[in-house]
Amino acid sequence: MLEALFGNSTIEKILFTLLVYGEGYALGIAKTFNAPVNRIQQQLRRLENGGIVASRLIGKVRIYSLNPRYPFLKELQAFLTKAYEFIPEKEKEAYYRKRTRPRRAGKPL
Amino acid sequence: MKIDWEHIDIRELAAIVSEKLNENGIDAVLVGGACVSIYTKNKYLSSDLDFVTHAAIREVAAAMSGLGFKRETSRHFIRKDCQFFIEFVAPPAAIGDEPIKNFTKLKTKSGKVVMFTPTDTVKDRLAAYYYWKDPQALEQALMVARDQKVNISVIKRWSAKEGHKEKCKAFLDRLSL
Repeated sequence: MLEALFGNSTIEKILFTLLVYGEGYALGIAKTFNAPVNRIQQQLRRLENGGIVASRLIGKVRIYSLNPRYPFLKELQAFLTKAYEFIPEKEKEAYYRKRTRPRRAGKPL
Repeated sequence: MKIDWEHIDIRELAAIVSEKLNENGIDAVLVGGACVSIYTKNKYLSSDLDFVTHAAIREVAAAMSGLGFKRETSRHFIRKDCQFFIEFVAPPAAIGDEPIKNFTKLKTKSGKVVMFTPTDTVKDRLAAYYYWKDPQALEQALMVARDQKVNISVIKRWSAKEGHKEKCKAFLDRLSL
């Protein structure tokens, strides 16, 4: 939907993921969209170099979120929120409504 | 002039880099931890120098190669015998959603450095404390505010606008101790 603006569809998927879930990591995003992890990592790096996302290392996993210090953060969030409304329900269900509440360790699925 | 890269002071390195960039028609502003080092006379010593520039990174790389600095990753530059590394962070020069337009022009024996003012350096460090709960950033903000003349009412107003009145109060309480 925003591919023409961002230059590729991966950026759009990453930004919607970070908007909806608040944070994400390369492998998780790659699995969600069935995309190669190196492609996601490359675009996350591009966004980080631009100051749009920020990351921190937790254990061995690098967690990304929208950068709270990005000067156009409010405007970007407003734009993404508006654009999110136009995503088909089926797509929202598949990609942006994954369980985020805790699951106790050892609990059978 | 021969440069002792191994023992160079952060302030002189900032000036040498700034002058080299300038020679190449590149404007850059020193931001972040290096400003804290300079304003506190190295009570806090940053290991990197962050510059904000609107110039293309390939132009920056060409200028930096003139000082023997090699591009390590997309925006980092290193020189083997120098303890500091240089990073060019994405523009604009901003703290929160406020663009920064007034800078300190520091004169050193190696040249001039355009850098954040003491007040903006405190705001920059407080932003890291507010958003990432970084305790080191709070200590750095306090060091600068104790060593330099800063505009407390500007800091208060900006903190309120960013939605962090309470954390600003914690900073001011520590400052008055």
